[in-house]
Amino acid sequence: MGTLLFFLLGLLCVGSVLGMILSRNQAHNALLLVLSFASLGGLFGLLDAPFIAAVQIIIYAGAIMVLFIFVIMMVNLKEGIRPERKVWTIRLSAGLAVFLLIELGLAVKGTLASIRGEAGPAIGSPTELGRLLFTDYLYPFEITSILIIAALVGAIVLVKKKKDER
Amino acid sequence: MNNLAALSPLLCVVLGALLVLLLEVLFNKENKSYLGYVSLAFLAGGAALCVRSWNKLYSFFNGTLILDNLALFFFLLFSLAGAFIILLSLKYISDQEANHGELYSLLLLALSGMMIMVSSPDLLVIFLGLEVLSVSCYALAGLKRKDEKSAEAALKYFLLGSFASAFLVLGLALLYGAAHSMVISGIIEYFQAGTASKTMGLIGLGLVIVGFAFKIALVPFHMWTPDVYEGAPTPMTAFFSVAPKSAGFAVLLRIFLDFWGASAETEFVFWALWVLSVLTMVVGNLIALRQTNVKRILAYSSIAHAGYMLVAVLAGDQSSLVFYLTAYLFMNVGAFAALIGMSKKGKEYNELEDFAGIGFKYPWIGGTFAVFLISLAGFPPTAGFLAKFYVFSAAVRVGLVPLVVIGVLASLISVFYYLRIVVAMYMREPSPDREVTIDQENPALFLVLFLCLYGVLQLGIFPGNILTIIRMAVSFL
Repeated sequence: MGTLLFFLLGLLCVGSVLGMILSRNQAHNALLLVLSFASLGGLFGLLDAPFIAAVQIIIYAGAIMVLFIFVIMMVNLKEGIRPERKVWTIRLSAGLAVFLLIELGLAVKGTLASIRGEAGPAIGSPTELGRLLFTDYLYPFEITSILIIAALVGAIVLVKKKKDER
Repeated sequence: MNNLAALSPLLCVVLGALLVLLLEVLFNKENKSYLGYVSLAFLAGGAALCVRSWNKLYSFFNGTLILDNLALFFFLLFSLAGAFIILLSLKYISDQEANHGELYSLLLLALSGMMIMVSSPDLLVIFLGLEVLSVSCYALAGLKRKDEKSAEAALKYFLLGSFASAFLVLGLALLYGAAHSMVISGIIEYFQAGTASKTMGLIGLGLVIVGFAFKIALVPFHMWTPDVYEGAPTPMTAFFSVAPKSAGFAVLLRIFLDFWGASAETEFVFWALWVLSVLTMVVGNLIALRQTNVKRILAYSSIAHAGYMLVAVLAGDQSSLVFYLTAYLFMNVGAFAALIGMSKKGKEYNELEDFAGIGFKYPWIGGTFAVFLISLAGFPPTAGFLAKFYVFSAAVRVGLVPLVVIGVLASLISVFYYLRIVVAMYMREPSPDREVTIDQENPALFLVLFLCLYGVLQLGIFPGNILTIIRMAVSFL
């Protein structure tokens, strides 16, 4: 059952990403990206990391996608921008892709060698994460809230409407 | 000593920022000066708390926040810079269509970010503090919303700043992966221990240095500086040129305190910084020669000064670096204050031609500006001379003679463009088609001018007291 689900979700993920790259329609692209994020979330769930699965769905499929869709709505391109096909960009990207493939292969090989069947204690559990966040990482956590206030105030002061401005 | 009191100066400043926001919403008056006074009060409160914590070595959050004397000294320096900038902004923002009360709040938040940076040995916390500082600065650069240049400055600062932050984060990730520690002492131990390959840690450290070099505008990571400094509202430019730089150098000082001479890798980092320092001093000063806008001249001059400060980092001499930063605060804020004085409602005079004959027409602004420029150039009896003297003599003591020779030559070049402004003010006739009239009813501005003048002369003639305090501050490290 688990294996079947894994392959199903994996297929869904890779398929939707491929569809996203190949499609020219921005709305389709965005929806396919949501699909791939959601199936990635499912994969995390299969790996016994329920918290990361939930975060993946909430943050990526939820928050970040809303931003994407906002941008698509505002820019409102009827047709996608035709990509300029230059020989050197294609060569460069092919080279980089091969490089990435080798890198991934090495990474997988290294990971497989170090894993010996048994999974460790649940690192990604919400309890453990919460404990760390409010003990060891309390100070960075609090600073992050200051950072968010600064970003909010900055964004608002730059775009808000003044009384005399139309 | 683990004590909640360690948080008090920081909390005071953040509280001030939030209160200013609240007051702005509640009262929403057209005249925003009262918000400035409220911010000043909170800065003063924070400074008083700093003075009370002197020599107490408070710490909190498992030692990720340590109020040693160096941190406290920088807190006081930042509070002083913040107070100067607030005083300079009081009239400027209503005159130049940047009348947002949030300015004071953002300024206080930026100050809190810098305080976070200088009071932590943990690179993660330092990074977060840097982000608080940068995010506030991006918004501050764009406060003149109707001005295209200001918008350009904000966007440019934001894009390149985010880019630099990305470098910094990647570098931190690599460093953590290699050294298994985010604390500066742990990273130094990693570099000193064993003979295993340290390539990953070195790449990480390199990326961290690149990130910081962006923020403190070292050549070749300085491209954003002139445009941002020119476009941003002038008091904010003064802030950018002084405060983030001091915070960045304070962090570099902590990182490289025990770093030099440990192993072959540190040698490599040393020479990389050596090259950066030479490039910064030479390129910054050479490009400044060709500028005709005074704001841009001061921007390039601030780049060049970062090069001199890097010499102090390379020499491993903390007290001369801290003294340089202190002197630089007074002379640079003073110079920008004079520049802000050259304005009236809706108009700023920043071109070199506008300064023709100013020395006789407006003797106070012209005279103080001349003193600050002479100090920036490094003539006695001003603070700029002693600062350069201490840095260069410290470098000679550790045998960095070629670097010092280049530094002295570079500062000789700089004399030309500083004196060019002085010559324009005193020896050039104002051209009849350029009418320059400025609004002199700005007591806060003159207060800043005279305080800076006092600082420049006090540090230049009787530096004893401040040197004693600085020695006390660095002796704890």
